[in-house]
Amino acid sequence: MTPMTPTLTQYLVISLLQIIVVMGFVMTLVPLLTFAERKVIAYVQVRLGATRVAGGLWGAQRGRTHKSRTFTGGLNGLMWYLGRVPVFSILRGLPMFIADALKLLTKEDIVPVEADKAVFVLSPALAMVAAFTVFAAISFAPGALFHFPANFPLLGGLPFNGFLTDLNVGLLFILGVASVGVYGIVLGAWASNSKYPLLGGLRSAAQIVSYEVPLTLSLLVPVVLTGSLNFNEMSTRMATDVPVNAVVGIFRTLLMFVGFFVYTTCGFAETNRTPFDLAEAENELVAGFHTEYSGMKFSFYFLAEYASMITVSALAAAFFLGGHYLLPFGLQGFLHIGGWWGGPHIIFFLLKIFFLLFVFLWVRATVPRYRYDQLMNVGWKFLIPYTLVMFVIAALLRYAA
Amino acid sequence: MFKTEEMEINLGPQHPSTHGVLRVKLHLDGETIVRCTPMIGYLHRGVEKICENKTFFQGQVWTDRTDYVASVSNNLGWAEGVEKLFGITVPRRAHYIRTMLTELNRITSHLLWLGTHALDIGAMTVFLYAFREREEILSMFEAFCGARLTTTAFRIGGLREDIPPGFEKQVRAFQARFLDCLDEYEILLTENRIWKKRTVGVALLNAEDAIALGVTGPVLRAAGSTYDIRKAFPYAAYAEMDFQVATKNEGDTYARYLVRLEEMRQAHRIINQCLDGLPEGPVMAKLPKVLKSEVNEIYHAIEAPKGELGYYFIGEKGGVNPYRMHIRAPSFINLQALSKMVEGRLLADVIAAIGTLDVVLGEVDR
Repeated sequence: MTPMTPTLTQYLVISLLQIIVVMGFVMTLVPLLTFAERKVIAYVQVRLGATRVAGGLWGAQRGRTHKSRTFTGGLNGLMWYLGRVPVFSILRGLPMFIADALKLLTKEDIVPVEADKAVFVLSPALAMVAAFTVFAAISFAPGALFHFPANFPLLGGLPFNGFLTDLNVGLLFILGVASVGVYGIVLGAWASNSKYPLLGGLRSAAQIVSYEVPLTLSLLVPVVLTGSLNFNEMSTRMATDVPVNAVVGIFRTLLMFVGFFVYTTCGFAETNRTPFDLAEAENELVAGFHTEYSGMKFSFYFLAEYASMITVSALAAAFFLGGHYLLPFGLQGFLHIGGWWGGPHIIFFLLKIFFLLFVFLWVRATVPRYRYDQLMNVGWKFLIPYTLVMFVIAALLRYAA
Repeated sequence: MFKTEEMEINLGPQHPSTHGVLRVKLHLDGETIVRCTPMIGYLHRGVEKICENKTFFQGQVWTDRTDYVASVSNNLGWAEGVEKLFGITVPRRAHYIRTMLTELNRITSHLLWLGTHALDIGAMTVFLYAFREREEILSMFEAFCGARLTTTAFRIGGLREDIPPGFEKQVRAFQARFLDCLDEYEILLTENRIWKKRTVGVALLNAEDAIALGVTGPVLRAAGSTYDIRKAFPYAAYAEMDFQVATKNEGDTYARYLVRLEEMRQAHRIINQCLDGLPEGPVMAKLPKVLKSEVNEIYHAIEAPKGELGYYFIGEKGGVNPYRMHIRAPSFINLQALSKMVEGRLLADVIAAIGTLDVVLGEVDR
């Protein structure tokens, strides 16, 4: 069957549906991520995290007394009895993210008198738009997720793809748009016309500009290895390319292994997360660049940060952890897995993203924060040389293949 | 064409990591500190003056409110100072219990320091781990004297009550697991590269400067001095205790961190010795109903968790309250070193320096 070429109307409708699905996914994931952050960090720190909203859900609230009549409540009670934090209380506080959103929506929206009002209002939007536009080029599944049934009105027989666009310069698009986000931070900080945001914004500008270099260089490794900038092609070929001989294969895997850590480190810096959260280091700069922001404007920055966490996780998963395939670091090309497990599946990709998001939270709960000059040292003296070496090795591998 | 200008920035008095109401006026060149001026007085209540209008028995209540995270130490200093003024001999059992409680208090104070200091540097988990143990000690204080923070634990001449039943078991249970807890904090911090980067060589203060500025306590001992009043001028039951004074030579934030951790280990040892060697006998000396002083002046210093805590009393003839009372507050004097430590360094080091000095503003301002 030859693939159907959609008419313009069909194309627009299907794109709209895809946008709704992708945005819906991200907009659901971000609040859930804030909830996960509360809970993950809470469990690391031997406490319960958010419990107040819907505290009585599944009988968890009564679990404390060890006399609960419900099953989960009973298990919770048992865990308290054994001196453990009750795992089953994870459901408590689940609607907390709705409460968070409502709180942020209804909070007073303050614009400082001395602020540059237009820039002050626009920059959070700039940060958020940049962070969300990136998802246009991220592919959640390489092919069609499903086809509309033939009798479906207007769209009968058309595929519903796991990606919005199949850009041939997808990676460039992602990197380019993502770096626009830093303008949102710097301009917002500058427009606040206040001292702490100024310091935070300057830190952020220096940091993100510095880390953009190793970040991009580390992503050049997959670009060189695959000779493509197309997200789907890159992720598929990085995962499944069969190496010409064992030596090339081993080096390729090692390169991806190291590249993963380098890229993830840069990603942490790029998203302003601990241990690189200098721009909003609350113990130093109160709240850094968003000190003067409140209400929904603040939450735009917040959403942008979490959305870029998802972006970074998605890129790391796609290019280094085997993307839509089961095995990471290009091992799929070595070990031939048959059947369902061998195929590309959206679930593998999502699981990898979720795991990396967990790593973000895990790291936040574990390590202290770098100092400004040390951060610059790490970026310029370690990561950039590493990435350059990796780049050269990648070029040699490409030559060998 | 270009001109540069120093930026003046107020760190505090409402700032997440100035530990209360400390205000630090910073002159910044970019992120480098040009000048640093601590500004204090936001919590001044006039404790010394108030104590001059309270009897010797009542004054102790006010010492709870100076260094509110180490109130037992303050109580001990007050009680022993007054006893020295009147020449009262305290029973040996009371000395042992006082020593034990004071060392428990040293642990709570250092745990609070560890948690907040790590939090300032960005390691947020240690804070909650430290508070988990601190909570346990606070409930011991509650069992002993009914209060968790403002303890007023002792009386002039001894203790109001002997330790309650079950108290020893509670302490022993805590003692049994506390060393493991310390190891747990160390796993998170001691060999952590970022922690070391943030603390090694940061906020340096050498012994010479420290002595010149009057700095005492762990900050002084981390600079190589072995001055510890518990050894130098033993009080309470410290003369009978076997413990080491923790010292380091580096004089940086990391050394102070290690010194305080070691002090917690030593405190653990002392508590064990107090429990094992707890003598029998009364806990209160015979006292007259009303204490009336002679013309007399004394200075009594103890090793509080933050440093040398001294009480200076002048009595007047027939007076029921001190004619003049002064507290040599270690936090106040240690805070002087802040400018010395941070000038020429980066903004983030100020936070580390405030944390490592372990100041409590209730004691700085009194």
